Amino acid sequence: MLILKALVAGELHGLGISRRIQQISGGTFLVKPGSLFPALHRMEEEGWLSSFWGESENNRRAKYYRLSKSGLKQLEVDTERWGRITWAIAQALKSS
Amino acid sequence: MPIFAKIRSLLRNLSSANHADLDLDREIDSHLQMLIEQNVEAGMSAKEAERAAKIELGGIEQVKEQVREKRHGSWVLSVLSDCRYAVRQLRKNPGSTAVAVITLALGIGVTTAIFSVVYGVLLRPLPYPDANRIMAVFEVTSKGRPSRIADPNFDDLRDQNRSFQSIAKYNEFIASVSGTTTPSRTRVAHVSPDFFKVFGIQPTLGRGFNANDAKKVAGPTVLVSYGYWKQHLGSPEDLSQAHLKIDNAVYSVVGVLPVGFNFPADVELWVPSDLEGENISRTAHNYSAVGRLRDGVTVEQANADIGTIARRIHDSSSEQGDYLLKDGKVIPLQESITGKARSTLLILLGAVGFLLMVACANVANLLLAQLSVRERELAIRRALGATRGRLVRQLLTEAFLLSSVGGALGVLGAFAGVTGLVALAPANLPRLDSVSISIPVLVFAFFLCTIVAAALGTFTAARSTSGEVRDGFAGEGRGQTGSEGSQYLGRVIVAAQIAITLVLVIGAGLLGRSLMKVLEVNPGFRVDKIITMDVALPSLNDPKAKASQGVFYSNLIDRLKQIPGVQKVGAVSGLPMDGGLPDGTFVLIAQNEMPKTPDGLGALFNQKERLGNADFGVATEGYFQALGIPLIRGRFFDERDGANSPHVAVISESLARTRWPNQDPLGQTIEFGNMDGDVRLLTVIGIVGDTHEYGLEAPPAPTVYVNLFQRPRSTMTVTMLSDTDVESVTSTARGILKDLDPEIPVKFRTFSQIYSASLGSRRFNLILIGFFGISALLLATTGVFGVMAYSVTRRTREIGIRVALGAATGEILRLILGQGMRTILIGVVIGISGALALTRTVKSLLFGVTATDPLTFAGVILLLMGTALLACYIPARRATKVDPIIALRYE
Repeated sequence: MLILKALVAGELHGLGISRRIQQISGGTFLVKPGSLFPALHRMEEEGWLSSFWGESENNRRAKYYRLSKSGLKQLEVDTERWGRITWAIAQALKSS
Repeated sequence: MPIFAKIRSLLRNLSSANHADLDLDREIDSHLQMLIEQNVEAGMSAKEAERAAKIELGGIEQVKEQVREKRHGSWVLSVLSDCRYAVRQLRKNPGSTAVAVITLALGIGVTTAIFSVVYGVLLRPLPYPDANRIMAVFEVTSKGRPSRIADPNFDDLRDQNRSFQSIAKYNEFIASVSGTTTPSRTRVAHVSPDFFKVFGIQPTLGRGFNANDAKKVAGPTVLVSYGYWKQHLGSPEDLSQAHLKIDNAVYSVVGVLPVGFNFPADVELWVPSDLEGENISRTAHNYSAVGRLRDGVTVEQANADIGTIARRIHDSSSEQGDYLLKDGKVIPLQESITGKARSTLLILLGAVGFLLMVACANVANLLLAQLSVRERELAIRRALGATRGRLVRQLLTEAFLLSSVGGALGVLGAFAGVTGLVALAPANLPRLDSVSISIPVLVFAFFLCTIVAAALGTFTAARSTSGEVRDGFAGEGRGQTGSEGSQYLGRVIVAAQIAITLVLVIGAGLLGRSLMKVLEVNPGFRVDKIITMDVALPSLNDPKAKASQGVFYSNLIDRLKQIPGVQKVGAVSGLPMDGGLPDGTFVLIAQNEMPKTPDGLGALFNQKERLGNADFGVATEGYFQALGIPLIRGRFFDERDGANSPHVAVISESLARTRWPNQDPLGQTIEFGNMDGDVRLLTVIGIVGDTHEYGLEAPPAPTVYVNLFQRPRSTMTVTMLSDTDVESVTSTARGILKDLDPEIPVKFRTFSQIYSASLGSRRFNLILIGFFGISALLLATTGVFGVMAYSVTRRTREIGIRVALGAATGEILRLILGQGMRTILIGVVIGISGALALTRTVKSLLFGVTATDPLTFAGVILLLMGTALLACYIPARRATKVDPIIALRYE
């Protein structure tokens, strides 16, 4: 979900996604390549992302990922579900 | 859309894995470079930047592997690569792979073959619609045994029951049938109108029986089996001209039953039972019965229903006595057909299961030995990042590969095995025609392979992945002690093998001893050099016509005596060991007491002291002479006993002993008219030796023989004692019969054939269990040999040190043999207790020995220990030849 969110603003390469997640989560989440790349490839196969080779800021060839329409929809679904879960947990914690 | 994407990526992954991998390589590389650049920007030195970047990235190969695993279809690729690897691994040790595959093929093949028989006989549904709704219905005798049904009782059951939608009675007999290409003896069934409705079948050609067929309105009608229609009638589409002469009466063929309809077994012709008329006695058990349950009625409900009616008949009948039914019983037809074969087949299945276990144990031991060689390889794979699950999968794949190759070979072998089994099976095993390698049998074989593979794979995986990674490397250095655990496990397996083998071989031993005991029994007659000739004249009721049949047999016997080489010729109504003779109750009546009316005779039947029970045989003097049945007292039949002289009888020794214990039976007169309808008194003139009518295992039956020439009969078996070639006697005899009457069907056999057929099921069981026992013994021996040889190899260094320190050859031998012996003894002890517990199940198959026969136990234990010791001795010998110098350099 965080990866999808990171890509809402625009296309990024692997490292960029990692940094962006770190940034938007206020440094809470550090996504290691060991989890990042399997997740990216999986999402690409699910059709949520599309990828292409492009030039990085330092003129290095890098693989960029872009959010697809179904990815955007997935993000909405996930966000909505996450909201429900956190609300439910918060309710549960409050009640006790 | 996502579905398309998935399929596309799956295809891409499978077809161009290399391209995808290249892409991944470049991506990871660019990621690494960017990390380094970032670090440099953050002020690190080039070297430091690279190091930090690599730390952040983690293992490059691991990341790639994780990505690969996340891809669609990754499991297909990895299973394929596992298979490739497994094939390579198995090819590396062609010898032990071959042994493992052959062992598994043997185990799975034999188990599949036996299962195909069990399935075909016991489990495969009968080939009728909703066959599980078809029941067999019985009366229950005063002794609690199921019996056939008397006509009036059947009528009551049919009319009063609320459980069956249709119920029918049937019986079968053998008749002389002509009107076809060759006259033959054919099985014919009398069936009541609902018979085919019970089975839910319709004739494929023509029509079934209708009301007129049963009422003698038109001429008699017959239905024929599909096979009979094809073979004997020449498969005519138009049945209007098809007629058969059954026991001299002409029947019109009105219909052909579907292929595969075979009930009662081996019957070819069906005629309406009502043509016979009804017997009004409630104790004349002439019919069997089958019924189809109503929807929703259970077997238990039907059983209770029939029982209630039967008890009501019992309570209200005027014919009280031992022969009147006490109760009724309903069991599924399939169970009633296969009843006797059931326990034997289940024993065989159990025995073959044991064999399979021994085979698997051998393979497990082989894998175990290989595994300890591979410890290092597995450790390296784990160090390179293979997870434990991945290794388990690899080992499972190897086990699956082994067992599927073994299983495939085994199933191929089972095809041949089943043919052999069916040929070997005794004729009294029901439903043999439905035994084959069918789809359910193949499914069974597949499950067997899977279970075997899962067991072996789990076993090796549990062994190999339990230790720490470091142990795998360390073990190699420690040499002889490295696989103490697997050595121990190997010996446990061998002990278990020996225990199971012992049980199997003891079972085979008990069966073998039983057969020997059976063969020791003196049958009471000669078996060799006897040619038998089953002759069937049309059955007749008119006494005058019957008398002519006596003359016919007299002529036939006289002419057969002329054949060169034939010494004695006689005839009997039923040969011993060939189904036996009918039995009944006779009455002792003195000449002057003979009552004038049938009622008077009936009154005598109520005087218990006058009654006796015996088998009833019709014979000639020559029968006793040909079979060498000795005359003990009195005389055989001779010329004095013509058709018009007083009727005489010869009785068997056991009847004389049991019926007249303190009297002389000679000269006594009996009336045995309920057997052949002739109430004239019979004077006992001779006592002959006992014969084992019902096979060697059954006690001799008390028998009354009457003279064929006084009590003529249509079907007889002529027995000829002949020194010469069977073929020439047979063809001459056939010619003589044809000369007398060309329409008479005849069948030739030798008595040795009948005798050995009577031992058929005993031989079948012995051959199979013996085969399992010997195979298990061989497997266990190789198992012992393998473990001991492996242990000696492992201990080479230790032995070398011992020899160097001055151990004598004898001591080394004792050391190794002692180690082997301990394993064997433990196996034997467990095996004995297992055998004591399990041989009870084969009790029903034993004769003359107890299930715990000490001689068999001792013999088998000696045999097994001897073989196992030999298997230990060879590696032990090798151990004594160890050269200490070489041994110490062994590493």
